[in-house]
Amino acid sequence: MSLQISDAVIWQETAGGISLYHTESGDFHSLNETASRIWTLVADKGEREAIVSELSQQFSGGSVAVSVRIVKDVQAFLGTMIEQGLIEERPALS
Amino acid sequence: MTRALVLGGGLAGVLAAAVLARHAGEVLLVEGDHYPPGPLPRRGLPQSRHSHVLVSGGARALDELLPGTVAELLARGAQRRGLPGDALVLAAQGWFRRLDTGACLLSCGRGLLDQVVRQRALPGVTVLTGTRALGLAGDRRRVTGAVVETAGGGTRTITAALVVDATGRRSKAPGWLRAIGAPAVEEVTVSSGLAYSTRHYRAPDGLAEGMPAVMLHPRPAPGRPGQGATLFPVEDGRWIVTLTGTRGGEPPVDEGGFTAFARALRDPLVADLMAAATPLGGVRPYRDTANRRRFFERAALPGGFLAIGDAVCALNPVHSHGMSVAALGALRLAAELARHGADPDAFPAVQSAVAAQAETSWRLALAQDRPRDDGAREASAFQREILARRSRALLSSPELAAGFFRAQALLPPPAQDGAAVARALTGEPEPLLTTEEAVAQHPALHAWCATHARAGGEPIRR
Ligand SMILES: Cc1cc2nc3c(=O)[nH]c(=O)nc-3n(C[C@H](O)[C@H](O)[C@H](O)COP(=O)(O)OP(=O)(O)OC[C@H]3O[C@@H](n4cnc5c(N)ncnc54)[C@H](O)[C@@H]3O)c2cc1C
Repeated sequence: MSLQISDAVIWQETAGGISLYHTESGDFHSLNETASRIWTLVADKGEREAIVSELSQQFSGGSVAVSVRIVKDVQAFLGTMIEQGLIEERPALS
Repeated sequence: MTRALVLGGGLAGVLAAAVLARHAGEVLLVEGDHYPPGPLPRRGLPQSRHSHVLVSGGARALDELLPGTVAELLARGAQRRGLPGDALVLAAQGWFRRLDTGACLLSCGRGLLDQVVRQRALPGVTVLTGTRALGLAGDRRRVTGAVVETAGGGTRTITAALVVDATGRRSKAPGWLRAIGAPAVEEVTVSSGLAYSTRHYRAPDGLAEGMPAVMLHPRPAPGRPGQGATLFPVEDGRWIVTLTGTRGGEPPVDEGGFTAFARALRDPLVADLMAAATPLGGVRPYRDTANRRRFFERAALPGGFLAIGDAVCALNPVHSHGMSVAALGALRLAAELARHGADPDAFPAVQSAVAAQAETSWRLALAQDRPRDDGAREASAFQREILARRSRALLSSPELAAGFFRAQALLPPPAQDGAAVARALTGEPEPLLTTEEAVAQHPALHAWCATHARAGGEPIRR
C-alpha cells in the first residue's frame, strides 16, 4: 500500500520534531522524535512495507521480539494518522 | 383554551408571539414601550438608532418563520451586501479583495425591520403596549401568569399557561423567578468594554446606490484599545456610521470629537465619506455591549416558563448576531411546539433547545472578547507562522474567506478543500491592496471618488 501525506497538511521539521497543521480541522500537532522519523519516512518512501522494514532493521538490534513491537507501534501510529486524515493510504500503482 | 403571554415586544418577543399563535388558543403580548407609527426608532429600544445588520443565517430563519419578509424589506429599501463581495473590509492585515462567499448581510434601519416584522407577525396576537411586566405569578413548579403595570398606572395579573420572557438584555426574569421560589439562574458576563457612537447621514449625490458596506477593523496593537468604524448603507439613501472603541479608547459623543476620532483611525476612508455626506441628527452613544448569557436551561425551572432572545443570550453588537439569535431561537421554538404542542410541562426542555441555538454565536463572541488566558500555553513559532499566513491569505483566498465569512453569517461551512487552503497558506500571498486599489474594486464608489476629486472638492484620497 502506498502512503502519502495529505495535501491538506502543512508541516515543518523543527529542532523539536515535526510540527503539523491540518487545514481542514484547523488542528496543530507536534510529533515526538520517533513519530517524526516515521513521518519523514512516509514523506520520502511512501510505501508502508518499506517504512516498517527500515524502522525495524534500524532499531530492533536483530531481536525478533523488538522487531514485532516496532511493527505494531508503527502500524498503530500510521493507523491514527490515517484516521485523522493527516496521511492517506492508496493501493500502490503497479 | 391555552393562553400564552409574551413579555416584551422586541424582535424575539414578536417572533415568539407569531409562533405561539399557531399553537395556543390566545396569545397576548405586553410591551412597556409604544410602537412608533412608521419605520422609526423608539425610546424603549435605544439600540434601534444604531446600525442593525441581519446576517444570512438570521435572514433565512426570519423568512422561514414569516415567508416573504426579506423580499418586502428589500422592496422597502433594505440593502443586501455580499461579504466581502459588496463590502470594503479593512482587516488586521489589510483590505479584502472582492470575493463571492455566499455570505451576505441585510442592512436597514432597525425601525423598518421591526415594522415589517410586526405587520406580518402580529395578526392573531393581542398586543398591549405601554404595559410593563413587573413579575411572574405562580410557584416553583408552575408559572401561571405575570403581574403587569398597565398604561393607566394600575397593576393586574394576567393569567396564562405559557409565559415567555423576551424583555431583552436587561431582563429581570431571574429575579422574578426567585420571587416565586424557583432556583437561581446562572449568569455569565464577558465584556470587551466596547463602546458605540453612531450618527446617521444622507449619502452624497451619486452614492445613494451601489455603495459598498465599509468596515474598518482596529489596528492590531496588543495592550492598546481597539478602535474601528463601520458605514452601512440603509433605506432612503441614508448611511449609518458607527465608531467603536474598547476600554480606554471609547469614541466621543460630541460632533467634533466624533469627526476627529474617525479621522484618526488607521484609514481615513470613513472620515472622508462622512465629510462628503450630510449629517442627520446628532451622535448617539451605546455603552452596555457586554456579552451576557443567562443559563435558564441549567436551572430546574417551573413549567410554563421560557426565555428567548437577548434575555437568554445578549451579544456584543459588534458581532451582529443578536437578531439572528432571536430569529433562530423562534424557529427552534416553532419546531419544538410542533413536536410537543403548547404543553407547559415541555417548556423546560424547549428552553434547552432554544438556548442551544445561541451556542455558536456565544462561542464566536467569547473567542474574541474573553480576556486572554495568561496560563494558556504560548503558541509555537510554527503556530504563529501559520496563523500569520492565514490572516494574510484570508484577504484573497476564496476558500479561506468562504470559511470565515460563512461562519460570521451563521451559514453552514463551505465544502472543504484542504489542499486549496494549504496552497493558499504556503504559496506567495497576493500583494496587499492600497486603499485606492480596494476602492477601485467597487465601480460606483470608484467613479464617485474620481468625479469628486475632478470637481475640485477635497480629494477623497490623498
Ligand atoms: C448598539 C447595538 C447594535 C446592535 N446591532 C446588531 C446588529 O447589527 N445585528 C444584530 O443581529 N443584532 C444587533 N444588536 C442586537 C439586537 O439589538 C438584539 O439582539 C435584538 O434586539 C434582540 O431582541 P430582543 O427582542 O431579545 O430584545 P430587545 O430588542 O431589546 O427587545 C426587548 C423589548 O422588551 C421591552 N421590555 C423590556 N422590559 C420590559 C418589561 N418589563 N415589560 C414589557 N416590556 C419590556 C422593551 O421595550 C423592548 O421592546 C445590536 C444591539 C445593540 C445594543
